[in-house]
Amino acid sequence: MIAVLGLVVGIVGGLFLEPTVPTGLQPYLPIAVVAALDAVFGGLRAVLDGIFDDKVFVVSFVANVLVAALIVYLGDQLGVGSQLSTGVVVVLGIRIFSNAAAIRRHLFQA
Amino acid sequence: MSDQTPGSEPVREQPVSEPSRSDEGGIGRARLLAALRAKPSRGQLVAGVLCALLGFAVAVQVRANQDAGLSGLRQTDLVRILDDVTERASRLQAEARDLEDTKAKVSGGSSGSLAALEEARQRSQTLGILAGTLAAEGPGIELTISDPEGQVGADVLLDTLQELRDAGGEAFEISAVDGARVRVIASTYISDGDNGGIVVDGVALHSPYRITVIGDSRTLAGALDIPGGVLDVLGQSRAQGTVTQRTAVAIHSLRPTPTPQYARPAPQKTG
Repeated sequence: MIAVLGLVVGIVGGLFLEPTVPTGLQPYLPIAVVAALDAVFGGLRAVLDGIFDDKVFVVSFVANVLVAALIVYLGDQLGVGSQLSTGVVVVLGIRIFSNAAAIRRHLFQA
Repeated sequence: MSDQTPGSEPVREQPVSEPSRSDEGGIGRARLLAALRAKPSRGQLVAGVLCALLGFAVAVQVRANQDAGLSGLRQTDLVRILDDVTERASRLQAEARDLEDTKAKVSGGSSGSLAALEEARQRSQTLGILAGTLAAEGPGIELTISDPEGQVGADVLLDTLQELRDAGGEAFEISAVDGARVRVIASTYISDGDNGGIVVDGVALHSPYRITVIGDSRTLAGALDIPGGVLDVLGQSRAQGTVTQRTAVAIHSLRPTPTPQYARPAPQKTG
């Protein structure tokens, strides 16, 4: 409940505060968002599996974001930033889909 | 996706004790509801904060993406865009050059044909004035010859016309003052009439005659006035010639355009 509330509050805050993304963070924010989405879907699946642990959730969330940002940073330094970003998004997208599939099975039996 | 083969699901960070696939959907929903209704704990609070962060980041990113110009792009992307733009610009420049060439060609051709048309028009006007198919006007003289005694014959008038032509007359008309007008051209003949008067190209004229000439009026008048000239000859014939110089005379009598029956234009010889 608090998580859902937090999500809504965050979206509303982002819409109304209209902050500008710092230039240094601009390449990393989209990847970080996708990674965080992956963590959230994983957490939701864990809830449905009955094995949710908030410590694990926090750690996976932060680690996901950091690793994603690190990969993009590394890619930028190596000159393959855009390709690595694409790769990260693809992998995270696959994971999100598989988590979504598990959630769907739990909720709808299909 | 791996819907039917749960074993192939990617490994997750969560310490998964693989749930039995026979879980009823009811159980899942119950767990979800339970989670939603759970008492706020510290862990839940942290998760909520993280979710808030996520929502915030999503909103920010979406908004930034909507009005993102080039500032949010990577260096490599910028270089690629720059290359695209440069290539496109050079392509457009080449196209513009081609079009400019075409335009120059077309307009040059049309101006050439315009010039040719204008030249042809001028030539046809010149020839039309010479051949008597066009009306003409300009400075010139009027020579009136009154011949009450019928002493002036065709030979005198022919001499007069010849004299005027030599003096630079460009267009000629001979008429009776109150009668028919005849345009004088290269093939004009003049003969004496049966009962006085003259016949010009088949048209009978009688005195007084009027000859209208376009040309330099002073030269024309001078040519008639020389000693032993036309006016002298007329005076000896007891006829009277009067020359009037005018800044503008008009010749409106016309000739039909002759159509050569046998002659055809020959191809021009070059060199």
